[in-house]
Amino acid sequence: MIQGVATGGRGADRGGDREARGRIAVAAVLAAAVVPGLLFQPVFGFRALVAPIAVVVVACFAVTELCARFPRSQPWRPVLATAAGLLGLVELLLRDTTVAGVPTGATVRAIVAGVSESWLLTLRSTWPARPEPDLLLFVPLAVLVAAVAGVELLGTGRRPLPALLPSLAVLGVSQLFGAVTGVAAIVAGVAYAGVAVVLLLATGRAGAPGPVVAAMLPVALVGAVLAGTAQPERTPYSLRDQQHVPQPTRVVNPLSEVASRLRHPDEPVFTYTTSGPVDRWRLLALDKFDGVTWSTDGGQRWLGDALPSPAHATSHTARIEGAAGPWVPSQALPAAVTGPRLLVDEATGALRLPARTGPVSYELRWWEPSVQAGDLIDGAVDQVEARRIGDLGPVPREVADLARTAVGDIRPSAQTALALERFLSENYDLAEGPDIPTGSGWPQLRAFLLKNKVGTSEQFAAAYVVLARFLGIPARLAVGYRAPASSGGPVVVRNRDALVWPEVAIENVGWVPLDPTRAATTGAARGGLAEAADRARAQLPPAADLVAPALRPPPPDATNPDSGFRVPWRTLALAVTGAFLVGVAAVPLLTALRAWRRRRAPGTRAVVGAWFEARDRLRAHGMAVTPGTTVRDVLAAVSDPTVAAGLSDLADILDATLWSPDGADDDAGPRAWAAVGLVRKGLAKTPWPMRLRAAVDPRLVLRRDGWTMARETRMEVAAAPR
Amino acid sequence: MTAASEVYDAISTNVARVLRGKPELVRLAVAALLAEGHLLIEDVPGLGKTTLARCLARSIGGSWSRIQFTPDLLPGDITGVQVYHQNVERFEFHPGGIFANIVLADEINRGTPKTQSALLEVMAERTVTVDSVRHEVPTPFMVVATQNPIEMAGTYRLPEAQLDRFLMRLSIGYPDLGTEVLVIMSHCAGVEPDELSPVVDIPTLRAAITQVRSGHLDPHVVEYAARLAAATRAHVALRHGASPRGSIALVRAAQAVAATRGRAFVTPDDVKEVAGPVLEHRLILTADAELDQRRTSDVLAEVLAAVPAPATSATVA
Repeated sequence: MIQGVATGGRGADRGGDREARGRIAVAAVLAAAVVPGLLFQPVFGFRALVAPIAVVVVACFAVTELCARFPRSQPWRPVLATAAGLLGLVELLLRDTTVAGVPTGATVRAIVAGVSESWLLTLRSTWPARPEPDLLLFVPLAVLVAAVAGVELLGTGRRPLPALLPSLAVLGVSQLFGAVTGVAAIVAGVAYAGVAVVLLLATGRAGAPGPVVAAMLPVALVGAVLAGTAQPERTPYSLRDQQHVPQPTRVVNPLSEVASRLRHPDEPVFTYTTSGPVDRWRLLALDKFDGVTWSTDGGQRWLGDALPSPAHATSHTARIEGAAGPWVPSQALPAAVTGPRLLVDEATGALRLPARTGPVSYELRWWEPSVQAGDLIDGAVDQVEARRIGDLGPVPREVADLARTAVGDIRPSAQTALALERFLSENYDLAEGPDIPTGSGWPQLRAFLLKNKVGTSEQFAAAYVVLARFLGIPARLAVGYRAPASSGGPVVVRNRDALVWPEVAIENVGWVPLDPTRAATTGAARGGLAEAADRARAQLPPAADLVAPALRPPPPDATNPDSGFRVPWRTLALAVTGAFLVGVAAVPLLTALRAWRRRRAPGTRAVVGAWFEARDRLRAHGMAVTPGTTVRDVLAAVSDPTVAAGLSDLADILDATLWSPDGADDDAGPRAWAAVGLVRKGLAKTPWPMRLRAAVDPRLVLRRDGWTMARETRMEVAAAPR
Repeated sequence: MTAASEVYDAISTNVARVLRGKPELVRLAVAALLAEGHLLIEDVPGLGKTTLARCLARSIGGSWSRIQFTPDLLPGDITGVQVYHQNVERFEFHPGGIFANIVLADEINRGTPKTQSALLEVMAERTVTVDSVRHEVPTPFMVVATQNPIEMAGTYRLPEAQLDRFLMRLSIGYPDLGTEVLVIMSHCAGVEPDELSPVVDIPTLRAAITQVRSGHLDPHVVEYAARLAAATRAHVALRHGASPRGSIALVRAAQAVAATRGRAFVTPDDVKEVAGPVLEHRLILTADAELDQRRTSDVLAEVLAAVPAPATSATVA
């Protein structure tokens, strides 16, 4: 900027203009901090984030404004902004820790926990996580740090872009938590780039905006498109993948309690009330077998706000009371729990109390998938689950022979699984009375399968699982209770209802509970998978008529990141085309916006803006323009008389406005823009391909030759947050 | 700026009776006169260098002289000498050809360097010192020199110090066909420079010069001129760029050109218009640039394209 030539009036205008631009720059930096904060949307949901982030940002902006009005408070601005943001968060999220709104030691401890623990708790929770302060707090705190640091960098730095670094860091963290993909990624990328462009335009550092602004939009667009389209069918990396709640060293395996419960059949276990169909309650699912014990290595997380719904599922709720831990009754697909904070194994639906407590009561909401019997009877086994649960290990030869005898030598399928269930239920008997067998290791299973042929649901289910897995059917063991028949009102589940049942993984259906003992059929309402399984059993042909399912190509191995990679060409092409169209549409939009800004500028700037407008339009039509080019240079080069007339008028007005001692008269701006109108009228005579190219050429708005819009209105960045 | 533009109109109309088809050249020549500068007209023989100089000299109502530079011309022939008069028994100063308002130094490069150097003082300071006595030349004072750039035999290249004293160096250039027809017809009709009558008297010319000096100069325009000069000093193809005297000359010439157009203020276009005539002869190419057959006009064009015109700065001022 060349100083000392402006009139007092112009100087005052520039002062106000600088102030407004400084305010815009601060708002842009704060907006840049808001964007990554909102990108925690997959973690907490959008609604939960809005208020805390808004409180922080508004507090920061208010403090910045106040400090601008009271210059002596400038050195304290970061402290004041941080304090204001924290106070806002305390009043919004941590009011329970205050006394009449006044922070206490508990408030401080909560904030410290918010910094040190809440992010880890969030990683160890299902998403969307519960929007509770001990989880949520780290997000607005990160936004606060980014906002305060960004404003300070904007005020002290020579360039505006470093002010975006704190928000970029938060953005990176948010993407490590859960990368946004698809449309959300594109919107977020464009929004952040837009904020950066606004910041650059508001600060308008000479030399910097040209290349940076030019690079910002395409980089952001390409980045957003790549992020939005890269392998949309694959789950993006997340820090959460590595995080689970550590398992206690000793936790009761409910399978080991089944026999003892059956010996005391009348003891109540828990009571439930539900209007939905329930045929059994699960405590735990076990898929690891070492020959002696059954176990699971499924990771557990804190149950968040709600678990996602599968396709074609209905929601049911039940009130459960008096359930003792650590494993509490659940369903295969729990959705949410109201009451105590519980841990959940998302793969099996098992719920666990985090600490030993007395009996608990809670309300459980779960998803019941809608499955047709045809899907089940014709289904193939889920190869992905088969690979995941792994091999059974060495199987005794007699057991292997029995497995082949049970279903014949056909490929594993849903029919095979049901046939195996029928084989067990028809050839083996359920043990009753006080002298019941216990255990489900190989010795007990060999005795059950080959000798006694009498056992509890524990032996039935374990035997089914080993036979099924030998046949290639992915199967696991579920431990829980059957639902007693009821005539309405609260239902009491007793020890006699303890049940172990096998589950098999059927492609496109999920884990289907079976019942080789037929003990689960008590007359209680059945729905969803249980009902579909009943109908499939009824349709199951005799063993001799079982039909092997058609062969299908193996599914991609989800555990191998290299397998199954498919370039999403169609999506990529659509996204690139969309981005291109947006970019093409953006050029006329930006040029129109630029012309509007130039035209509405006061006095001299309107005249110079008219010259820039004419120059840019001529350049768009192929005229070579250098930084040294003047109106009369252009005038000497044009041939169209209308354009020449417009330029001649414009040159006279511009010379009189800029260089004469009299300065601009009142109507200089309108006359200059009338001259631009003549230029445009002349250019309208050019062939339409040239006009089309001139309208959409992105170089019109992204030039780095020192003639950018930002340069025209450049200002001192130090004027931003003072 | 009525007086200056009227002076220009009168002189250009008068000159145009003889010198056809070169209005912009005449404008620059008059601008040099109004800017109190000296003019070097350089071109191949037969294009009207001397004619232009004579027309210009004849159009002014003051005194004018012609000095034909030859190898045997002595400095005293230009500056004047002290002659001893026996009857009064003392020396008297006999002024040389330089003592006139308009001095036509024809074929200046045929004079020896010693003789050429006699012009240094008078062109810069408008005084002549002979035997330690300073003699002022009449004002306005203007040296209009001509030289042939292609003929080397018997000529002496003007030293840089001498070149720097010329406000502008002009080239006549070949006329186009129509203009050449007019030139032939004028010559055949017998219209000669000596037949031109003075159209501007000295007081009027002085008033016009004063008016040119008072033309409004925006600081951005002055800065632009300084940036142009500075850019020539930084250009890789130039061994020596324009001196501060060149910057001053650029602005003075721009003032004068603006005045000839009836404007009381200077625009960047005025600066650009006179940049070639004012700066080109002050630029010295590097050896590499000369080997590459680059010309100072090309380098100057690059400088004019690269240095931002000051409209941008004015926007934020």
